[in-house]
Amino acid sequence: MPHEWSNWSGSVRFQPSRLEKPRDEGELAAMVRRAAEQGRIVRPVGAGHSSSRLVETEDVLVSLENFRGVEPCGGVDAIVGAGTTIEEMNKGLWKAGLAMHNLGDVDMQHAAGATATGTHGTGKDLPILANAVVGVRMVTAAGAISTFNIDEHPDMLKACRVSLGTLGIFTQLRLRLLPAFELRRREWWGHVEDCLANLDELVARHRNFDFYWYPRRDEVRMRTWNPPGVGPEHLPFARCAEDVTGPSGEVLPGHSGIKRKFEETEYSVPAEAGPACFREVRNRVRERHRKWVCWRTLYRTVAADDAFLSHAHGRPTVTISLHQNAQLPYKEYFADLEPILRAHGGRPHWGKKFNMTGAELKPLYPMWDRFREVRRRMDPDGRFLSPFMRSLFEPDEGSAQ
Amino acid sequence: MKSIGKKLWVVPGGHIPLERTGREPEFTSFDKISVLNAAGHEAQLELTVYHAGREPIGPYKLKVAARRCRQVRVNDLIEPQAVPLDEDYSLVIRSDVPVVVQFTRQDTSQAANALCGPIAYAAR
Repeated sequence: MPHEWSNWSGSVRFQPSRLEKPRDEGELAAMVRRAAEQGRIVRPVGAGHSSSRLVETEDVLVSLENFRGVEPCGGVDAIVGAGTTIEEMNKGLWKAGLAMHNLGDVDMQHAAGATATGTHGTGKDLPILANAVVGVRMVTAAGAISTFNIDEHPDMLKACRVSLGTLGIFTQLRLRLLPAFELRRREWWGHVEDCLANLDELVARHRNFDFYWYPRRDEVRMRTWNPPGVGPEHLPFARCAEDVTGPSGEVLPGHSGIKRKFEETEYSVPAEAGPACFREVRNRVRERHRKWVCWRTLYRTVAADDAFLSHAHGRPTVTISLHQNAQLPYKEYFADLEPILRAHGGRPHWGKKFNMTGAELKPLYPMWDRFREVRRRMDPDGRFLSPFMRSLFEPDEGSAQ
Repeated sequence: MKSIGKKLWVVPGGHIPLERTGREPEFTSFDKISVLNAAGHEAQLELTVYHAGREPIGPYKLKVAARRCRQVRVNDLIEPQAVPLDEDYSLVIRSDVPVVVQFTRQDTSQAANALCGPIAYAAR
């Protein structure tokens, strides 16, 4: 009997005809070949933290939870199994004396899912997590095993880094890392106007900086991360509420094991548009949404990169994410704010709620057509294109939206 | 010190004003509960929010350390879900040790601000 699958927040629910959990690449490849013979769609799924419809399918859903582990492979490179959680990856890397350049706020995702959706942390000089991917090993749509690396296949890597599970089912990622390092995280309460007045300096002087804005208080909780002994000791306009130093993999994620379920939408705008966009968002939330919205808004920075479908492709970026209790209505809230975010050139986070069509997304990504060429070459029969994914990349062939 | 207060408290007249004037958070319109735990043990509180037109929501869990006081704005309660502004609600507060609960409303809907702070009803 097919079972209903649900994402972490509970807003994405569907019944795949089968949920497969292959034990190794051989089983995975055989499963893809079998699906091809039967004309079935195959979608890979990670930890299910994403709240967009990327994995939704009535056909075959494939979990990579048996593809785990961290294996150093010389220098600052390591091989990470696709189904390794970010938390497991961080622990494994720390043991090997290595660390990711940056991390997001949550560490429950699988490595392949987090990178394939453009997941990121904060820091003006720090690109998305997928920028660390210098090689991939995958089961292709034909059921073969292929590997690609940045030296021999630079264009392919730019397509693979953020590819939403449409080029193949990744089994391993080769990551280029940093020697393990510690960071000091401090969290500061302050007024939003003081934060905005000092925003350029805050972003410039800290390795990582972000802030949460609380719509029912108009206060911000600013977070700074720096190597111990580096960076400003005080913020004269804020009071320090938390001060912790530890391995980067422990202090960069702010919500390990998060229990509170929420829905989220996030858009990336050009860095120079960030402050004005945030002010518009703040005004709109204060004017229309405080009655029901208590959850905070997160403002982060991301360095430009060259992955074809990265939300930070070709431009230094500010991301603005809105949250709402998973048990409360969120659609009207997000729908009311999305036009503001889009008016500033916003690109949606692939793994969070968004209402844009493929036709609307295409002009935002200079390498959209290049990615589509790669996708068509890798998967000419659309083995990895669910109706929703098809509506994004092949809208002329039918849409699910 | 010997504990003071009761274990079950009720605030029947909750209603967080939607509008506000002045700089926030100082002049946000809010409902707030202030809890004194004079006992030698941490108090674990469970709040249930009753609404006029739907089923109660809760528990909202709070802790107050031994021999400490704590003030919490109802506006800021987030788990399991935000309490809507501009709607009538009631609070039932259960504590595992005797505590004293005071309720405060700050209404800055107009520039002539109002503040009131009655003691909640101590049920037992």
